[in-house]
Formats: sequence, C-alpha cells, structure tokens
Amino acid sequence: MSDDMGVIVKTNARALIPLIGIFGAYIVLHGHLTPGGGFQGGATIVGTGLLFLIAFGVEEAKKVINKDLYSALEGVGGLIFLGAAMLGLSIAFFYNVLWHKGPIFNGKPGTLLSAGFLPIMNLGVGLKVFTGLVSAVFALSLFRRWKK
Amino acid sequence: MKRALAFLSLVVIFAALLMALSPEYGIKFGLGGEDWKKYRYTDDYYIKHGVEEVGGMNIVTDIVFDYRGYDTLGEATVLFTAIAGAVALLRPWRREKHE
Repeated sequence: MSDDMGVIVKTNARALIPLIGIFGAYIVLHGHLTPGGGFQGGATIVGTGLLFLIAFGVEEAKKVINKDLYSALEGVGGLIFLGAAMLGLSIAFFYNVLWHKGPIFNGKPGTLLSAGFLPIMNLGVGLKVFTGLVSAVFALSLFRRWKK
Repeated sequence: MKRALAFLSLVVIFAALLMALSPEYGIKFGLGGEDWKKYRYTDDYYIKHGVEEVGGMNIVTDIVFDYRGYDTLGEATVLFTAIAGAVALLRPWRREKHE
C-alpha cells in the first residue's frame, strides 16, 4: 500500500513548499517589525514539513528527515535564545545590550538590522519550533499500529 | 446523583463567573479615557516607551522577548519538554522491534 498522494497533489506540493517556507522565513526575520515572530513563523514553516510528509508519504520522508539532526537543531535553537539573552549579563539577564551600545542590530527602529537581540532570538525560537514540531509529527506518523 | 451534584456545582461556578464579568460588580470591557490610565497604565508605558527602549516596532515582540523574556524562556522550555515527552512516548516498544 503506497501512502503518498496522486500526481496533482505532489506537483502542487512541489510548488507550494518553497512558497510556504519563504513566507515563514519572512515572518521570522521580520518579527521585530511586523506581526508575527519566532513562534508564529516557525509554526508556518512546519507547514512545509507537514505538506511534504502528507504529499510524498512516510517512506520518502524517512530518507529526508534525520532525527538526530532535528533534535540537535532544537537544542541549538534554545541555546541561541539563551545566548542572546546572556549577551548583556554584565548588567542584567535579558539586558538588550546590542540595542543600547552594540556593534550591530542598532540601526534606526523600523529597519531590518535594528532592535538588538530580538532578530537573533526570533531566529532561535523559529528554528526550535520548526525542528521540534516536525520531529514530533514525524514520530507520530511513524507510530502506526492500528491492529492488535 | 454524583453527576447531578457535579452539574449543579458547574452551574454555581458559571453564575459566579458571570457575576464577576458584569460591569456593575466586576471588570469592565472596552476601557478608554480615564479608565485607560487607571487600569492599563502598564500597557500605556509599553506603548509609549517600547520603541526607544527595545528598538523593535512590534510592541508584542518587544514585550515577550525583552521586557518579559523569562516568560518566553519558560514557554520555549515547555515546548521543548512537550516535544521530548511526545517523541519519547512514541518510540517503538522494545518487544516490537524484534518482531
């Protein structure tokens, strides 16, 4: 029994997965300017993983999704968040030192390179949400014991 | 009997909550004017000082990542624990691997 979809769904998935991914990356990168941010953008990018899993089937996803890599990347995302929070540790935890006197990310408010550690944290949280949810859904899809 | 009591207590709790939500006794909805300054002074501060203190135009991101970063840290920890628990529980059982 093949668990992948027909050719129309597959072709549409090929076209849509990059679009969803780019839109999710846009939400994550512009988290400090427009509505959205790490959690929302990460959950949007998870849509690509779900679409891939549903359209191409579990067997195809098994070749692509490496669970060690994904669990490692989830930890890395959390560490990016913590590292950005510790940048201003000489003054206080979660002190936005990049915004007040940092070398980068201190442009005019409203530009992409502004807001101190907020873009870095958005990236970390987005990476964490994406890898975490994809690995959870993938584990759920591999758990298939309907009989017995 | 037990079910009837449980339903009765649900009705009592619901009535009390409705009472607390009514504008005469409890909280108000659609605050504005003087009430805004009186009950929402924290929001007022964030809106006025958020851009200059944190730098992001998105006030919600300013609050959740800078002013109240610990909360987001805990949220990320909750997500991490949920994923770890789900993946750990969904692993194949030891007996099934050999079959």
